[in-house]
Amino acid sequence: MNPAATLQNYLIVGAILFGLGLIGFLARRNFIIMFLSAEMMLQGVAINLVAFGRYRGNLQGQVFVLFVLTVAACEAAVALALILMLYRTRRSLDVSIWQELREPGQEPTLDEEPLPPPPPEPPLPKLTPAGVEPPHPQEVSHV
Amino acid sequence: MLLPIILPVILGAMGVYLLLPRVRPYPIFWGTGLSAMALLLAGFTLIRSGMALPENLLFYCFSAIAIVAGVLLITQRNPVHAALSFALVVLSTCGLFLLQAAPFLMAATTIVYAGAIVVTFLFVIMLAQQTGWSDADWRSREPFIATLAGFVLVGALLYLLQKTYETPVLDKLLERAEAASQSDSPSHELGNDEEFLTALQAELEKIRGGQDREALLKEVTIVRGSWKEWKDKRDFQEMRAALHRIAENGSKLRDQIGTMSPQDTTREHMSGYSVIPNDGGIPENVAPLGRTLFTDYLLPVELGGTLLLVATIGAIAISGRRTTPPHGNSLRRRGEGSPELEGKP
Repeated sequence: MNPAATLQNYLIVGAILFGLGLIGFLARRNFIIMFLSAEMMLQGVAINLVAFGRYRGNLQGQVFVLFVLTVAACEAAVALALILMLYRTRRSLDVSIWQELREPGQEPTLDEEPLPPPPPEPPLPKLTPAGVEPPHPQEVSHV
Repeated sequence: MLLPIILPVILGAMGVYLLLPRVRPYPIFWGTGLSAMALLLAGFTLIRSGMALPENLLFYCFSAIAIVAGVLLITQRNPVHAALSFALVVLSTCGLFLLQAAPFLMAATTIVYAGAIVVTFLFVIMLAQQTGWSDADWRSREPFIATLAGFVLVGALLYLLQKTYETPVLDKLLERAEAASQSDSPSHELGNDEEFLTALQAELEKIRGGQDREALLKEVTIVRGSWKEWKDKRDFQEMRAALHRIAENGSKLRDQIGTMSPQDTTREHMSGYSVIPNDGGIPENVAPLGRTLFTDYLLPVELGGTLLLVATIGAIAISGRRTTPPHGNSLRRRGEGSPELEGKP
């Protein structure tokens, strides 16, 4: 028997991926990264399902993962369309810019600390002059 | 017993908390160091490792890459880098699928996720390009509470897994049996031998799965029956042999718990098509998967197709809508400006 090919090991990896995705979804403020984190949670679940299917020796886990894949593709399409629309309306990918949608009675979250000044524009690259004029030898006439 | 879970979880939580983006970031060294230490600790203590087979090494590599890329995904400031590390997560997950004998899923996930979804994300990132530093990428929302929630969940899951799949009591009992089978007077070495055999039997009855469980249980019952007789006759040879058999079969059974090759005891309860054909041939993947999809799960497949269609129409309907009139945009682009659009966000 091969002790590393146990159900437990795969379940641990799936649990860790799910937890990381949860942190990303809760903590990040960029729409796109939030959705990527949600997709990562789905990946953790997929690992679990495939591992259970292999443990049981049948294919139902894999079939479930196929359906998860389908739903994730639909979700990505709709989510990206929504993100594009939200971005067009407010010109920002920040979630907190939509915080007037919060429940009544909730305090708004304010960013006290100002952002650092933007980095200076990188200087334009110095191009080596192309096409240096070749030296012309003085033509001498002996007429 | 709890320490191997708590230590990596706390270290990982501290590392991720320090790495999350904020206006005045902590030195990157601390977060990286703590997270790497947590990953190594978890690899040493949580994963039941065996010999250095290629399969084990591949499992370690793929899961390490997946977790590291996951941490990068949630801590990167640049969304493009985050999307690329998501592609890395997906690819290493595909490697894990391949290790679990699911080649079709590996191909499908690579094409759908790493191919289509990540590229679409990159397109959206390009369309919604922001200049300079933005609130979205440079701040986190409640980083401490989010990290706490995530790692409390991970810790609880790990604890539950350990409680389900680890058998510390049985391991200790088997160790005692092995030690007693080596000694001169087994019953003396065991101490309270009657209690030992009762505990072993009770522990074996608790275990689920493992195809040799029934045989071992029967053997323990037989040994328990004839133990007194052997003790009266002072038949140490017989005792040692019996204990040695129990210890050996027990450690074999220990390795079977949670092993992912299909076991006879679990195959009785399952439904649907098996990975292994009935005549015991080579395990297949794609053909039985297709058969399962189009017999047992025909209706969900149809529903999935409908869902895709609905999502396509919905995405077009949502993103095709103009929030500002198109001619206004073109006017502004020409630098003329339209007075009725001024002051709008």
